[in-house]
Order: sequence, then C-alpha cells, then structure tokens
Amino acid sequence: MEFLRPVSLGEALEMKAARPEAVPIAGGTDVMVELNFDHRRPAALLDLTRVAELAEWSRDDSVVTFGAALPYTRLINELGTDLPGLAIASRTVGSPQIRNRGTVGGNLGAASPAGDTHPVLLASDAVVEVASARGTRSIPASEFYLGVKRNALEPDELITSIRLPKATGPQQFAKVGTRNAMVIAVCSFAISLHPNESRAGAAIGSAAPTPRRVRQAEDFLTEVLDWESPQALPDSAKRRFGELVASAAEPIDDVRGSAAYRKHALAVLARRALGWAWDAYREGERSCA
Amino acid sequence: MTATAEPEVGKARLRKEDARLITGRTRWTDNITLPGMLHLAVLRSPMAHARIVSIDTSAARDMPGVVAVLTATDLDPDGEIGMPCAWPITPDMRHPRRPVLAATEVNFAGEGVAVVAARSAAEAEDALEHIEVEYEDLPVVLDMEAALAEGAPLVHEDLGTNRSALWVFDSGEAGTGGDVEQAISDAEVKLTRRFRQQRLIPAFMEPRSTVVDPTGPQLTVWSSTQIPHILRVMTAMTLGVPEHKLRVVAPDVGGGFGGKIAVLPEEMMAALVARKLGKPVKWTESRSDAMLTAHHGRDQIQDITISATRDGMVTGLKVDLLADMGAYLGLVGPGVPLLGAFMFNAIYKIPAYRFACTNVFTNKTLTDAYRGAGRPEATFAIERMMDELAAELGMDPLELREKNWIRHDEFPFTTVAGLTYDSGNYEAATERAKQLFDYDGLRREQQARRASNDPVQLGIGISTYTEMCGLAPSRVLGSLAYGAGGWESASIRMLPTGKVEVVTGSSAHGQGHETAWSQIVADQLGVPFEDIEVLHGDTQFSPKGMDTYGSRSLAVGGTALVLAARRVLDKAKPVAAHMLECSVDDMEFTGGKFTVQGTDQSVGIQDVALAVFAAHDLPDGYEASLDSDATFDPENFSYPHGTHLCATEVDTETGRVSIRSYVCVDDVGKVVNPLIVEGQIHGGLAQGIAQALYEEAVHDESGTLTTGTFADYYLPSAADMPTFVTDRTETPSTTNPLGVKGVGEAGTIASTPAVVNSVIDAVRHMGVDDIEMPCSPMRVWQAIQGGAR
Repeated sequence: MEFLRPVSLGEALEMKAARPEAVPIAGGTDVMVELNFDHRRPAALLDLTRVAELAEWSRDDSVVTFGAALPYTRLINELGTDLPGLAIASRTVGSPQIRNRGTVGGNLGAASPAGDTHPVLLASDAVVEVASARGTRSIPASEFYLGVKRNALEPDELITSIRLPKATGPQQFAKVGTRNAMVIAVCSFAISLHPNESRAGAAIGSAAPTPRRVRQAEDFLTEVLDWESPQALPDSAKRRFGELVASAAEPIDDVRGSAAYRKHALAVLARRALGWAWDAYREGERSCA
Repeated sequence: MTATAEPEVGKARLRKEDARLITGRTRWTDNITLPGMLHLAVLRSPMAHARIVSIDTSAARDMPGVVAVLTATDLDPDGEIGMPCAWPITPDMRHPRRPVLAATEVNFAGEGVAVVAARSAAEAEDALEHIEVEYEDLPVVLDMEAALAEGAPLVHEDLGTNRSALWVFDSGEAGTGGDVEQAISDAEVKLTRRFRQQRLIPAFMEPRSTVVDPTGPQLTVWSSTQIPHILRVMTAMTLGVPEHKLRVVAPDVGGGFGGKIAVLPEEMMAALVARKLGKPVKWTESRSDAMLTAHHGRDQIQDITISATRDGMVTGLKVDLLADMGAYLGLVGPGVPLLGAFMFNAIYKIPAYRFACTNVFTNKTLTDAYRGAGRPEATFAIERMMDELAAELGMDPLELREKNWIRHDEFPFTTVAGLTYDSGNYEAATERAKQLFDYDGLRREQQARRASNDPVQLGIGISTYTEMCGLAPSRVLGSLAYGAGGWESASIRMLPTGKVEVVTGSSAHGQGHETAWSQIVADQLGVPFEDIEVLHGDTQFSPKGMDTYGSRSLAVGGTALVLAARRVLDKAKPVAAHMLECSVDDMEFTGGKFTVQGTDQSVGIQDVALAVFAAHDLPDGYEASLDSDATFDPENFSYPHGTHLCATEVDTETGRVSIRSYVCVDDVGKVVNPLIVEGQIHGGLAQGIAQALYEEAVHDESGTLTTGTFADYYLPSAADMPTFVTDRTETPSTTNPLGVKGVGEAGTIASTPAVVNSVIDAVRHMGVDDIEMPCSPMRVWQAIQGGAR
C-alpha cells in the first residue's frame, strides 16, 4: 500500500487525479477501522493531515466555512457558538481521543447512515464544497448522500470544506445509543430553527439507507409554528411532528436495534427536540422583547 | 534504622507498582524479545462447526519471512494432546478432547487450524491468508435448550449427547435442610422465574501473549497468565515435559478478571513449535482474537422457584441451571456453576434447598471463570427473587430481606447449603447504606413521580449480598473433585543489609500485591515499607504457589506471609538474646526491635540479619538463616457481605436507564490498604453494572460472534458510571489471623442485581416484572410495551 503525503491542496488534488483509487485519510477514525478489519485494501492512502488549508475556517456575517479536516474538538471549541447543532452532535462522537482526530469531512467521506453530523448538516442547509484538478463544485448536503456508504463524490474529487449558515435560531441534536460514549447511534435526529426564513429544518440518521431530511415534518412545522408571536406548542402538535418524522424513516432490524424501536425512538426524540428548540426560541423572543 | 511508628496496615498507601505499570516501562510478555525469536500467527476457523476436508499450506510457506507453517498433523501427529480440564465435577462428566490445533473438525468459530512461524509478526499475519482450508459444513447448535432436545445436532458426534454433566445438591439428601419439593407444595406463596445470564467477554486490558524459549537448560515459558504455577504443572502433564525442565514466568500481567485462568492451546502450541524449530517463539493475539477466543463468562439459564409464607418467611428454594460450556471444557469451566451452588441461599435462613446444574455443549467459544465465577449468577437470581417475592407479598423488599437474613447474633451460622458463615453484620451494613442513600426520601420521590405520570420514572434496587471467597480450603475443593488444593505459600528472605525479599505464590496481575504485602510484612517485622521487595510470578524463585483468582490472595496468601514472618521472628529471637546477653525468655519484640524486658537494651531485626549473615558469633548449634517459608491452607472461606442500593431513572419513552445514585456499604473485614479496596470496589461495581446494562456477547445463527469489537461489545466508559458512594463496616473474618476477607469480586457480585432490581422497580407499576440483561434502551422499552398489553 502506498502512502501519499501531499503538503498542499493543489498537490493533493493532483495526486487524487493521478490515483483516483487512493483513499483519503485525515483522522482515520473510519478508514483505519476498515483497514484493521480488512474490509478494504486500497492500493494507496492519501494523507491529508499535512494540508494546512483543510484544517482552517473563516466566517462572515451569515456564513461559516470550515475545512474538511478540522477535528471535532476544534469545531466544538472554536465554532460552537455559531454552529450549536453541529457542536452538540460533535460532542457525541466517540471519545475525546477520537474527537481530537475525527473530522466532519471524514464523516461525509464515509457517508455511513449512522454518522453523527449528517442530520445536523441536512437540517442546517449545509453545502459540501468539493474540488478536483478539474475545478470545484458545491453540493448541497441534501444531494450528497446517495446510498449506504455512498456519496456524490467523483473518484478524483476531495471534500475541501463545509459551508453552513450561522445559526439564526435554536438547534438541537439527539441520539439513542446503548452507552454514553463510544457508541454508534441506534437512531438520531436534528432540528434547526430558521426564524429568519420562518421555517425549520429537520433530519434523521441511522434510520434509512442514508441520512435524510424529513420534508413532510418540516412542512408541518411551517404550518403550525407562529414565528412572530410564538406560543407554547400543544402536545398534540409535537406528537404529530414526531409521527411525521418517524414515518419518513425506513429503518432495519440489526444488532443495534429493531426497526420498530428505531421508529418509536425517533418519534420521541423528534417530539422532545422540537419542544426544547421551540421553547428556547420563545425564551429568546421574550428576552428580546 | 528506625522502625515504623504507626501501623502500615490500614494506610492508604499509593501503590508501589503503579508508576511502571501505568507508563508501560515494564516487562509485559509482548515486550520480551529474544535473539532469533520467531513470531507466530494462528489461522482460525470462520466456521462454528465444520469438517476439515483439507489444509494446503504450500503457498503460505513461500511467503516472505515464513519459516514454517504447521498444522495438527505436524504438532501432534497421533492426536494425543488434549487441553486439560482440572475440574471433573462428576465421575461420568463428558470431556471431549480439545486439541492444540483442530485436526479433523472445528467446533467453534475462532478455533485454531494452523500456525505460521515467521521472522516478523506482520509476515506471519500476512502468510495466514495464503493457507487454503476446505471445510464441509456441519449443523450448528447454539442454544442450550435446542442442544438438549431429542435429535439435536451434536457438537461432538462421538459423545452421543450435548450434555456434559449433571450436578445436584439437595439439602434433604445432604442432611443440611428439608425437602424442597415438600416445602414448595406446602407453600402459601410460590414464585417461579426464569433468568438468563447473558454471555460476557472478560475484556482484560492486555491481550494474551506467550513467549517460549527452548534454547536453555529448561524450557522457559513467559505468559500473560494469572496462574504461572498451575500452568507449569499443567504444561508438564499435557506435553510430557518433565516439570523440573520447565520454568514458567508471568511477568507483569495487564489484567485477567478470570480470563487468564486458563491453559491455552496457544501456550501449548508455542511450546511445541519452539521445540520443533529449536528457536524462541512469540505469540501475541490481536484484540479481535482476544474477544473471539479467550474464554467467555456467565451464559446460564436459571429456572428458580422460591416458596414462602404469606407473612414473608422463605420456606424453600429450588434452582435448575443450564450452563453453556461452549464447544469444549475449560480448565475450571465445569465447576464455575458449582461455585454458585452454595450461594443461592445467600444471607437468608432458607430451610430447604435444591440445586441442579446441567452443563451443555454448544458450538461457541468455551466459557470459564469470569470475575465472581458462579457467585454473581447465584446472587443475581436470589436477589431478583427476593424483590419479586416482596412485590408479590406487597412488602418492602428491604423488610423482606431483614425478616429472612441471618441475624448478627446468630453467627457462626451453618446454611442450608452446608457452609458455615463465620461472621457478618447485615443489620449494620444495611442501616448505614439506607442512611447514605436516603432510602425513605427516594421512596417518596418515587411515589410522587408515579402520581404525576412522569415520563422518567425512579426505581430503587437492592442487593444484600454475601459471597464465599478466599479460595479455598483444600478439603472442600477435594470434596468437589477439583484437581488441586487451595493453599498458598510465602517466603521471607532477610538480606544481610536488613532489607527484605518477600516471595509470594500468589501471582498478581494488577491487584497491588507488592504494596499490600509490603504493608503486612512491615508491620510483622517492624521494618520500613520501603525496605521490602515483593517478588512473584516466576517459578524459578517462587516454585510453590496457587496463584490469583477467587479473591484469595490476601486471605490465603497474606496469611501465609504472616506465618512466615512469625517464623523469621522465632529464628531471630535467640540471636537477639545472644547479642544482648540475656535469656530468650526475657526478650520482647515490638516495632522492629528485640528488647530486654524492663531495660532499654535492644537490637533491631535488621541488625540481627547482618549478624546472622556474618555468623561470627551465633548461639551454639544455631542454623545461620532467618529465611522462612510458610504455607497456609484455610479452614474456611471468607465471607464478605454488604448492602448495595441503586437508584435509576428510567425514561419510559426511550427506555434509557441512568443511574442516579449508587450506594454500597461493604464489609470486607480488616482493610490492609483502603485505597486498593476502594479501587477493587469501584472496578467491581463497573463490571457488575456493565452486565446489568451494557455488555452481551452475541452470536448470529451461523455461530459468528457479532460483538467482537468494542464498538459492538458495550464495555462501559467512565461517562456511563455514576459517582459511587462507598462505605464500609468492619466485621473481622475469624477464618484468618489478619481478619481479612476477599474484595476482588464483591462489587461485581453485588451490583448486577441491584441495578436490574432498580430498573424493574421503576417500571413495575407499568406491568413489568422482568427485563432480560443487558437492560438496553430497546429492551426496557419493549418490556414496557409488553407489560402494558
């Protein structure tokens, strides 16, 4: 196995163009596991840890852009205020050691339905910036996940950065697992309120072949939420939202949980997360007023 | 030299050994490198049950760095070598031969089929995939009841059955109590429950490793084992190596939890390969292999019937077990359920008792000792039954226990299982635990949450446990057909400069022997803690020992140490008297000094050591040595006990369980080092809680282990553990001069039922009276769904 070590993005893209079969590796928290268990044997690894620009971030008034190889720990510490939902999800990834190495770019590259950050990226209208020697393109998160562990990348492309609007309202992420750390989600849910657009984004993980947005549930919120003079949500509305979220799931029975439990738990997570987020929004509106 | 003023025993000394163990700057087996050493890798069967049609090793032999590729045909051409089982629990026990490498048939996924010896570990590993094995499928049997059914596929065709043995204890027949069938049929109340002890993986930190050097005068075996002494005897008997030509070393060992009480096929394989090739060899397993092939623990189905009077006096207890042995019998595996046989009656005065255990073969990794070995299973069953009985009778579960337990003034007490508990004070431990826990306050909160229909319900779980440990009186072991005794040995060597070498036959693998043993000897001999070195784990300087398991080291090995120290003093006394020119009868010994009674004339033990070394002026006929050995064989077990109270919050919508508070008050007798005791309790609790909530080894229908990594086998992390509130009562054991009891397994034994009782208590009002372990969110939710129906 060859180990390619580019020192700049340009060099990395050239290498990837020359060796499209090379597997990019940053934190290695997914790739190394696959190698260790011999699930894959790539002819080459493309080490991105020396490409400095992939671990940088910038922001303006409305948008945050961060490099694909920015470790979770830095994302939490440096961007947590602007991207609260992503920070909550990132805190549930693995252990401190894994968060020191693992990256959102890696989550996207692996495209596992159980990846913790996917629902947040979907709910928050993230855009995945990818590049190749041929040029760059922007892929909305909602078009990025194509199947179980399959994404929209071309063989010569690398994920360079992730672009998200700064949070304009409360965001929540919740997952069910069998323990509190080092756990692969049985199911997960994210919601982002976008008061500036009078709508909310919501998405599920570990409950379908890909992470997915739950559009019917989002539309329901557009109907019922009064952004101008926010009222307490009736339990029946929260429950209906939970049902709509669960109905969008197509989970399987596996060693981590049954399909029936996943659907049920998603409904509970969605109902609760909506409650927390909406209450936080009302609280914020009250204190502004 | 000054003697220590305050006693060492009882001090919370930091552990001497920690710096080297924590930093890894020490000798783990895998750190050992010998000149010319080859590395071994084992090809393992992916099939749970198959006939081996052919093995082609030719391509692997041509791989770079490969020196040899060997199979059973090469290592044991006549098929004579079988792994030892030291506990034939019944005369008719069926004991299939477990080969070093499978020759004609594989019986569980993970069984070794071939071994590669290469110049590097990586080359050995790489060569494995060039070995071609053709298998022919055989039917797989995984479930114990299915295995016992008529016409079931057989794990070992030649045995004609999957039943290994049936072992029965009946108090009516033994004369220790009444007839349980009578008690049950006469009962005002009776309850029957089935509990499943899921299969667990010991998950020690250091994977197993062994190095064998055939080049010296002796065959030297280093191994990451709990039992170097037993391994020496067993290797001699298994391979026919004369025992005096065999040296076994357990260097620093990174944990075991019972998982390294084993004589491994890989150890025998390494010895055979080393002898065949005439070169040192090393085998170190991967974590994956450790999960798959190191013996597993628990895996029992327990059918329990308890009978009682309507006012809550237990009248009888009947236990029917199925115990999954896996594909073969481990070193002590068949006897593990027997260690529980005497513990189902626990701390209660039960007039009639019957225990029957059927050991069953399945196509899975073999099971054997795992922290608590037999006692956690028993304690779980009885403590769950006491809660169920309390619910049935509408009594407070603590009140029911108190009504039935052995009162402090009734000790010593001979139980219905025939053991004599020497001491205990269940009242004191329970009282203290209730205070620390705020039992009454939490019960009130529980009522309030039920009344308000809170989605998060509160449960209170109780476990008032005892256990038998300090294994063990040799006569008792003999009566149970165990293959060895239960004594322990110690040697104390007084060096010329007054320093002390202590050799113990109890081989530590993380327990802190070096610190605790130093504290004991410091007090006995009155020498400074720092002047004592504790040596263990090498049969060259420690030829006698029974090693470390069953919470035995302190109660048995610590006592041997005290006896040896007393002999040192007996030998030193006449020399001291001679040096002080007085009569032996006028000498007294305190604080490391022999003093002439009523004078200030004295001589220190360390000065006596120098005088004995010089031997210039000793009493006539004196044998010039203070060195002393002792062997201690306990007359009885030690019986730690305690009360554990656990409060859990159960999210009835998601099934999530969080431990809100955990209080334990343990009575482990006299404490040598409170820090070590605390560490043992914390680790024990974590391991017991893990069984209750997290861990389970799962096989799919083909017999493949699907929980072979830490991503799927949910070992809890610190983030899953509550802050433990621990306290102790101190009722000294009367079965050893130190007054100590074992503590290594107590936390694990006690905590599992406390947690499960708590989870069930939280949702009992929703119709739930049992949840299978581990109580994962999904299982709890499903139980609530089932209860509501």
